[in-house]
Amino acid sequence: MTFEVKNGSFRYAHGRQVLNNISFSVENGQMLAILGPNGAGKTTMLRCMMGFLKWTEGHSLLDGEDIAGMSQRKLFSKVAYVPQAKNASLASSVKDMVLLGRSSHYTIFGKPGAKDRQLVTDTLARLGLSALADCSCAELSGGELQMVLIARAIVSEPQIIILDEPESNLDFKNQLIVLKTLRNLAEQGITCIFNTHYPVHALRHADKALLLDKSGNVCFGAVHEVITEDNMRRAFGVETVIGQIETPHNEYADVLAVNTLPEEPAISEDPSEESEKNTMTQIANEENTRLATLSIIVEDRENADKINAMLHEYGQYIIGRMGMPYPKKEVSIICVVIDAPETAISALSGKLGQLRGVSMKTTYSKK
Amino acid sequence: MGRKKFRLDVTSTRSRRILFYLTLILLPLLAGVICLCIGRYTTTAGETLAALGRILTQGVEQGDNLAKIIRDMRLPRIVLAILVGAGLSVAGLAFQSLFANPMASPDTLGVAAGASFGAVLALLFDTSTLTTQFIALLMGFAAVGLTLSIGKGKGAERSLTSMILGGMVISSLFSALISLVKLVADTDSKLPAITYWLMGSLSNATWYTVAFALPFVLGGIGLLYSIRWRLNILPMSEDEIQASGSNVTVLRLVTALASTMITAACVSTCGQVGWVGLLIPHICRMALGSDNMVLVPASVSVGAVFMILVDTAARSLSPSEIPVSVLTAIIGAPVFIALLRKTGGWSL
Repeated sequence: MTFEVKNGSFRYAHGRQVLNNISFSVENGQMLAILGPNGAGKTTMLRCMMGFLKWTEGHSLLDGEDIAGMSQRKLFSKVAYVPQAKNASLASSVKDMVLLGRSSHYTIFGKPGAKDRQLVTDTLARLGLSALADCSCAELSGGELQMVLIARAIVSEPQIIILDEPESNLDFKNQLIVLKTLRNLAEQGITCIFNTHYPVHALRHADKALLLDKSGNVCFGAVHEVITEDNMRRAFGVETVIGQIETPHNEYADVLAVNTLPEEPAISEDPSEESEKNTMTQIANEENTRLATLSIIVEDRENADKINAMLHEYGQYIIGRMGMPYPKKEVSIICVVIDAPETAISALSGKLGQLRGVSMKTTYSKK
Repeated sequence: MGRKKFRLDVTSTRSRRILFYLTLILLPLLAGVICLCIGRYTTTAGETLAALGRILTQGVEQGDNLAKIIRDMRLPRIVLAILVGAGLSVAGLAFQSLFANPMASPDTLGVAAGASFGAVLALLFDTSTLTTQFIALLMGFAAVGLTLSIGKGKGAERSLTSMILGGMVISSLFSALISLVKLVADTDSKLPAITYWLMGSLSNATWYTVAFALPFVLGGIGLLYSIRWRLNILPMSEDEIQASGSNVTVLRLVTALASTMITAACVSTCGQVGWVGLLIPHICRMALGSDNMVLVPASVSVGAVFMILVDTAARSLSPSEIPVSVLTAIIGAPVFIALLRKTGGWSL
C-alpha cells in the first residue's frame, strides 16, 4: 500500500493559493507527521488528500490509483479519518460510536452484525477502553474521546489512518498514549498520517515529516532531515534549538523554541538570493559524515530483532559492530560504530531510544 | 466509573431484543383495541369485540349499528392515529439527526406550513376532502422544494444552517399566505372550517383518507427504517459522514425526502398536529439512549400509542371534539418538562 500525492496544488475559488505543488509518498507502516505554522494549510491539505476538497491541480493516489475516480465506499474502506476530538455534543454510547467505523463496509441500507460488534468489543479491549463502552460520548474527557475516535478508525480495518491534530487538546500523558497507539498501528503495517503542532512529536515518533510554510511551499523527507533548526526558522519564523536531553539511561531528542524572529522584509535587493534563503532544504545525505559510537543495553530480549532490523537499515554507514550477552543480568550489550551524516545518526539513535527496555547513548567524534 | 446513565437495556441479549420488539408491536395493538371500545356511543368491551369479530369474519349486516360505527368511524380513525403518530415521531427523529439539533421538528423545512396553505386554499374553494388532501400534499412538497433551493447558496456548500433559515423563511411566507386566505374567507361558512382544520383533527378519517395517506407514510417510515443505522452518522460533521463511506448529499436528501413524504401526508390528512415529532423522539431517547437502530422502531410504536390515546381523548372527553394539537400540547408540555427535569437536559 502506497499513498502518494503528486503535484497537489489548492486554491480557494477567487482566493489565494494555499498549497503549491506538493508531492510526497508514504509506504506501509510509516508514520508521516505534517507540520506547519497556523494558517499554512495543514488541515486543508488533509482534506484535499482524502478528497473532501478537490485539488485544483494534482492527484492523490492509492497504490497508483487516483482516489478521485474511486467510490466513497471503496476509498474509505481503505482510508480512515480521525477528526479533531472537539465535537462531543453527541450522546451516543462509545460502542455505538465505534461501531460506526464499520459503515464504510456497508451500503446505505446495511446494518452491522454480530461480527462487527465483536470487533468493536475486541478493539476497545485492545486500546484499554472497555470500561467506557457504555458511557455516553458527551461525558468523555478530551483524551478519552480522541482514543474513541481512533478506535472508530481502527475498526474500519483501514490501511491508512489520517488524523487531524490527534494530540492537540490533550494533556501530557494522553498525548503520549495517542502517539504510542499510532506507533503500534504503524508497526502493524497501518500507515499513519497526522497533523501536529509539535515538532518534538514528529521528531520522536514519526518516520517522515512534511513541513509546510505560509507560502504553500513544502519540504518532505525523513523526519531528522526535515526538522532542522534552519527549516524551523524558515517555516515558523522561530529560532529553535534542536538537541538532546540526557538521562542516565537514554537521550531524547527535543526541539526548543527560544526566540521569535522579526518578519523578514518582503522585497529583497537580490531576488535570487532571497529565494535561495527562503527555500527550505532537506539536508544533503552524502556529505559531512561524522563518526560516532552507539552503545546500547538491551534488557528486553524481544526487541533484539527490531534492533537488528534497524541496524540493517543503516547498514551502509556501519563500520563496526560488537554484541555480547551478559547472562548474569539477563541483558545484551551492543556497540555500533557508525560513519554517517549527523541526521542519519540522530534518526537511528532516536528510533533505538524509543524501544522499551533499551538504554542507548551516542558519542560523536569531535570532527 | 459512576458515569453510566440509567437506560433500558434492550439489545444486549437475544431474548431482550425479542421482548423489546414484541412489546413495540403489541403496545399499539393493545391501545388500539382498548380505544376501539371507547366513544360517545357507549358499549361494553365485550360487545365491541364481538362486533369487531363480526366485521372481520362475516361483514356488516343491515341494521348492525355498532359494527357500522366501529368499521366506518372508529377503526379508520385509530388506523389514521397510528399512521400519524408513528409517522410524525419518526420524521421528527430523522430531522433531529439531520440537523444535529434537538429542537428540529418535522416542519423545520416548511412542510407543515406549505401543506396547511394548500389545504386552506382548497377549503376556500370548497373542494372535496380528497382533493383538499391532494392539494395540501402538493403544496407541502413545493414548500420543501423552495426551502432546499434557497438553502443551496451560490457556489458554496449547502449548509444545514441555511437550510434551517430557508425553512423559517418559507414557513413564515406560507403562514402569511394562510392569513391572507383567512382574511378573504367567508366568515360564516368558510372561516370556521379553515380555523378548525388548522387546529388539527383526525375527524376526517375515512378509509379513503387513510388510503391516501397510507402509501406516503408507510413509504417514508420504511425508508427511514432501512437507513436507521446511517441516522447515527448524520449529525456528525460533513467530513466524518463522507469518511464513513456515505454520500453526504444523497444521505441528507433521502432523509429529508422520507420525512417530507410522511409529514406532508399527515398534515394534508389531519391538519397541523404539533408536539408529537418533538416529544416522542425525546421520550424514547431518554429511556433508550441515542442509538437510532433502537430509536426508529421505538418512535414508531410509542408515537402510534400516544396518538391513539390522545385522539381517543379528543373525540370522547367532551361532547364536541377537542382539537388534537391542543391536547398534544397540554399533555406534551408538562410530561416533557417532567422528563427533562428528571433526566437532566437533552442531547442527541
